[in-house]
Amino acid sequence: MNAMTSEGPVLSIRHLTIQAKNKKIIDDLSLDFPPSSLTAVVGPSGCGKTTLVRSLNRMVELTPGLRVRGEVDYLGQNIYAPQVNPVMVRRRIGMVFQRPTVFPTTIFENAAFGLRLVHEDLEVIEKSVQDALERSGLWAEVKDDLDRPALSLSGGQQQRLCIARALAIQPRVLLLDEPTSALDPAATQRVEATMQRLKEDYVLILVTHNVGQAARVSDRVAFLHSGRLIEVGPTADVLERPREPLTQQFITGRFQ
Amino acid sequence: MALPSSTPETGQDLLFDRSGRTQWRLGFDRAAGWLLPLLFLVAIIPILDLVYYVGAQALPTLSLAVITNTNPRDPYALGVPIESTVEVMLWATAVAVALGLFGGVATAEFLGERAAGWMRMSANLLVGTPSVVLGYFGYFALVLGLGWGLSFVAGATTLAFFMTPYIFRVTDLAYSSIPRPIREAALGAGARPYQYVVKVAAPIAFPQILNGVFLAVAIGVGETAPIVLTSTHSVIVPPTLFSPVTFLTAAIWLNFSQPPGPALALAFQAAFLVLIVVVALNIVVRIISARYQKRLEGLYQ
Repeated sequence: MNAMTSEGPVLSIRHLTIQAKNKKIIDDLSLDFPPSSLTAVVGPSGCGKTTLVRSLNRMVELTPGLRVRGEVDYLGQNIYAPQVNPVMVRRRIGMVFQRPTVFPTTIFENAAFGLRLVHEDLEVIEKSVQDALERSGLWAEVKDDLDRPALSLSGGQQQRLCIARALAIQPRVLLLDEPTSALDPAATQRVEATMQRLKEDYVLILVTHNVGQAARVSDRVAFLHSGRLIEVGPTADVLERPREPLTQQFITGRFQ
Repeated sequence: MALPSSTPETGQDLLFDRSGRTQWRLGFDRAAGWLLPLLFLVAIIPILDLVYYVGAQALPTLSLAVITNTNPRDPYALGVPIESTVEVMLWATAVAVALGLFGGVATAEFLGERAAGWMRMSANLLVGTPSVVLGYFGYFALVLGLGWGLSFVAGATTLAFFMTPYIFRVTDLAYSSIPRPIREAALGAGARPYQYVVKVAAPIAFPQILNGVFLAVAIGVGETAPIVLTSTHSVIVPPTLFSPVTFLTAAIWLNFSQPPGPALALAFQAAFLVLIVVVALNIVVRIISARYQKRLEGLYQ
């Protein structure tokens, strides 16, 4: 794979195969994620991109009937090793979903959720919540009413709150599964701006079916088709000069 | 794209549906709009009649003195049955809530599909079991089997078995109906399964479960057989867990076949009190439901 920095990858997938009853959803896929990068995983519907990111923090195990083979190494440790607790994996590798998933409590408590789980004291929590909300670009809008119900926020604000919730426990990797698919263009733009700021400090992995979004925010694109990695490389290369005919067909919109 | 036509069609021609079928359907809709409220009235007439009939028989003789009189030698006092009922309901509710909550959460969150299916089927069976049968079960299992004797603890526990499936079902339903994304978000943020159950799901499910508890109490307080078969009757508030106990509905059961007089009046007084409690609990349930709807607005979008 093309190493973009001299440091080793934070996350690396090795020969990952995810098997449903009689179909391989992910087929012998290997891919590295270097630090401070935003990789967009693109591909047609049903190509396995959501399953792929869900396998990176073992969320895939919540879907019954899927079998995972191969390795996903986080800083050199296979997260599927028997001694690894999936709960610890998910505290290091955060996730944001297609639709905002705020809990029916206050804005503050939503952002503080992960910290409450590990019993930090209030002073630490307050600092981390502010930091996370600033990083997710929501602080300016909510700093005066942190005690308001989170469900009263708009969809885009809710999604940025979900990003803040994931960031508050200081993961190094953030998985974003089509985070703007339920948002209007203005809210999408703000979430995209947030992602661009975050890629300085985190490994971001963004699933999107929107090639335009990949072009706007990512610095690497991985193209998936039928569970296989067809092509991966710097965004401009893959989107402007694809090597594979399948990639070419996808980005020119010939199949979806 | 307009089809060639000799006379231009008006908006009415294009939009009005004048077919016979549609006219008939509209007529039926209108009739149903009148018929349904009428049927509703028919349905609540027996309830209103019941409240009126019981109230008319009970109220002339019901007084604070009757309710507070706990003299064991006075056969026409309700103090003892009321106090006993409160104690039995406290015990029964505590046991039923513990069993129902535990079973419901386990079924919704932790058990496999097959085991959960068995749990749900058992609960449905238990709801369908006549309370007399459950009373016999309590008699054989608790009174004789565990050697508890005809006692408060046997009666109240049997009543708890009767109430448990209702609490189990609302708990299971409340937890199962929390949107999957909410569950995944909590687990995805590093919550352990029990942390999800307690910190995220419980506040969402709580009002619904509370509703179920109130309904179970309303159902339990109206039962007679589970208590009468497992603890007979008593003229005093039970001094120990293993003493016999009476129940408000037992006062009805013992007196309602008496000739007109103070004994029959007592049956009606007890019936009226039970009715009031049941209606009050149902109103509380309505109020909680309405609040719950408001608080969770937007969660299920």
